[in-house]
Amino acid sequence: MFESFQHLINGFGIATTIQNLSYCLIGAIVGTVIGVLPGIGPIAGIALLIPATFGLNATSAIIMLAGIYYGAMYGGSTTSILLNVPGETASVITCIDGYQMAQKGRAGQALAICAIGSFIAGTFGIFGLVFLAPPLAEAALAFGPPEYFSLMVFGFIVLSNVTGTSLIKSLMMSVLGLIIGTIGIDPVTGDPRFTFGSVPLLGGIEFVAVAIGLFGIGEVLTNVEKPLGTLDEKVLVPRLRDLYPSLQDLKKSLGAILRGTGIGFGVGLIPGPAPVIATYASYMTEKRISKHPGEFGKGAIEGVAGPESANNSACQAAFIPLFVLGIPFAPPTAILLGALLIHGVNPGPMMIGQHPELFWGVIASMYIGNFVLLLLNLPFVPLFANILRIPKKILLPLVILFCITGMYTVNNSVFDIWMMLLFGGLGFTMRKWAYEGAPLLLALVLGPKLEVAFRQSLMISHGDFGTFVNRPVSLIFLIATILFLIVPVLRLLFKKGGR
Amino acid sequence: MTKIIFAILFLLSLIMAMPLQAAEFPTKEVQIIIPWAAGGATDLIFRALAATTGKYLGKAVVVINRPGGAGAVGFTEAMQAKPDGYTLVSAVTPLTILPHQVSTAFTYKNFDPILNVVDDPSMFLVRSDAPWKSLKEFLDYAKKNPNMIKVGNSGAGGGVHLVALAFERAAGVKFNHIPFSGGGPSVTAILGGHVNAVSVSPPEGISQVQAGKLRIIALFTEKRLDLFPDVQTVKEQGIDFAMGMWRGLVAPKGTPADVIKKLHDAFKQGMEDPALIKNAKDMAVNLRYLSPEAFGKLMAADHEFYGKLVKEIKKLN
Repeated sequence: MFESFQHLINGFGIATTIQNLSYCLIGAIVGTVIGVLPGIGPIAGIALLIPATFGLNATSAIIMLAGIYYGAMYGGSTTSILLNVPGETASVITCIDGYQMAQKGRAGQALAICAIGSFIAGTFGIFGLVFLAPPLAEAALAFGPPEYFSLMVFGFIVLSNVTGTSLIKSLMMSVLGLIIGTIGIDPVTGDPRFTFGSVPLLGGIEFVAVAIGLFGIGEVLTNVEKPLGTLDEKVLVPRLRDLYPSLQDLKKSLGAILRGTGIGFGVGLIPGPAPVIATYASYMTEKRISKHPGEFGKGAIEGVAGPESANNSACQAAFIPLFVLGIPFAPPTAILLGALLIHGVNPGPMMIGQHPELFWGVIASMYIGNFVLLLLNLPFVPLFANILRIPKKILLPLVILFCITGMYTVNNSVFDIWMMLLFGGLGFTMRKWAYEGAPLLLALVLGPKLEVAFRQSLMISHGDFGTFVNRPVSLIFLIATILFLIVPVLRLLFKKGGR
Repeated sequence: MTKIIFAILFLLSLIMAMPLQAAEFPTKEVQIIIPWAAGGATDLIFRALAATTGKYLGKAVVVINRPGGAGAVGFTEAMQAKPDGYTLVSAVTPLTILPHQVSTAFTYKNFDPILNVVDDPSMFLVRSDAPWKSLKEFLDYAKKNPNMIKVGNSGAGGGVHLVALAFERAAGVKFNHIPFSGGGPSVTAILGGHVNAVSVSPPEGISQVQAGKLRIIALFTEKRLDLFPDVQTVKEQGIDFAMGMWRGLVAPKGTPADVIKKLHDAFKQGMEDPALIKNAKDMAVNLRYLSPEAFGKLMAADHEFYGKLVKEIKKLN
């Protein structure tokens, strides 16, 4: 334990050299810009900048690239709050209450609480990374296909009605998401499904296209439909004093931030787009725990603080499998793996022993980076809030431009852009008829994983369904799901009986 | 006034759009399409090669990722590109496998080979605490318990899955193949003990073997690996089987012969560059140069081989 501490101090020594500090700063700034621009996400940013790191030593390179990753998480919430357009896919949930807060003139508070929440989450996350990394990695390994299946079922049932409007409509959207998720190559047999002979569809529909399309383009189209006059509207920007959260705001949010951090850290260990799932989980939790659930959807600050913290801490947790096991669980960390390999570092169980200066240097620099981002973001809150001054007729076309370019950077595919526009049209139609996009996105993310886990489990057990209940962790999740479904019904019955 | 400016700009743009005189190749940068996402094994080695080849070619070499459809998207686009030597594509073993599995617009015949760069071994890994200490024990157990040993792979129908299937036929046993979405999840699964063995190709699993958590139980190469000189190949132990994953460069069919020669010479020099050799060593990647003719023959042979293999598998299913 003491040794770890000593390593950490060394790490700070490495991270605070002028060279590494500047790389950290560059990474954080670039990451924030990437996060703010809708469509472009950390994956593209990191991949594009890898060649820029060729001349650097491994530690500096990773410091910069890691900076981009969590910088993007900070920046992603900005457009979500101001324009109801997610800056990147994990910020979709932030749109819900964040935009409502902006509409009520509380954009500054929302932006600030995002920065603060992310900072707190990042700080705790780093401690978690340092002290809990090996046992958490072992725990992550213990999750086999049956456990993933039950976890997915649990997540699916619990998170489907995250916005709490009509249950039937949410379920319809979930099913639609599931169907869309089946398009592509069957993960178990390798046969194409629903591709109609189209080559681009073989890879399935890119989930970023659906997210940015439904929420970003959909939002723009909804605005366009409004009468011409409102496009010249500008939201009234309050005074500087009013831009920062009050003490009461901070008190309310603290619980959400801490819970979000914990949830995000745990969920971040799941392979795949974990930050997205983490934000859903945090939002649901806050809604259930809150004494004023009716506020959610109308500008509850917990609905912004929780998910943003969960987002950031899931990001930190994603480094654990990468550094401890040498296996990336999510696309951004896969690219970091590539960067590490190019620089001659073999991530894996031996990395911490062989390259302690890299591991501890990066950890220390993450802490510094979080601090830097907080300092960067807070003063910029008034600047960002002023974006709302731009008349919508100029702002909205710019948003579309960024969405399209950003979409292209993900896969260099024009097909993706068409998909995004298609889903934009769908999103617009859905909004007219009060259908929520959040369940669709969740189903698109969880559905394929659920299917793969189910089939893998049965292949491993030679068709024995008992595998899901014979394993303790899997059984726990299944029981939790059943309880979640039954308890409200039981409560209702008992209430009626009690009268 | 504005109209005049626009007219001038318009005319200028027309002039610039006219094709340039065919000057010495290359007059601009060369693109390599990688049909997989950034960060994968193919992507990494070709990025490193692109970095060193630039100076020998005289113009920069740039890598573009076009993932999707298990490689189909990238290959299709490369096939349709102009055969002028400015668009190349990394040809990897799946190029000869994919056309047998789904109906694609391309086969290896739509491309002209330039050279082969990498010949990555494939192998089976088990946990270091697994009960089988040798290949013999492993296969004996498999023979006595058909379909019981769970062998993970990085994707149904993918390269390492087919290696596992071909090995089954060569050794006369039957495994239970469990597909995962990529090399990472398959290695995670074996570390967690959810499968008994995993079929991989470096760099997947290498760092875990070096750390002592996993062991190589079956090595499907012609010669022993430099990195692990004590590990015997299956050939040495009596099974005539060797199969690897090659990665080379090809151009769309019809590219002029002198352009191909220039590209070939430049990339060969890039391969021999000490920086690349070091990079490859660090990534545990096995460089193996093949001339265009030899590479073309290899692709043709593999196309035949995988065609037969995939047909057999389809019959069984």
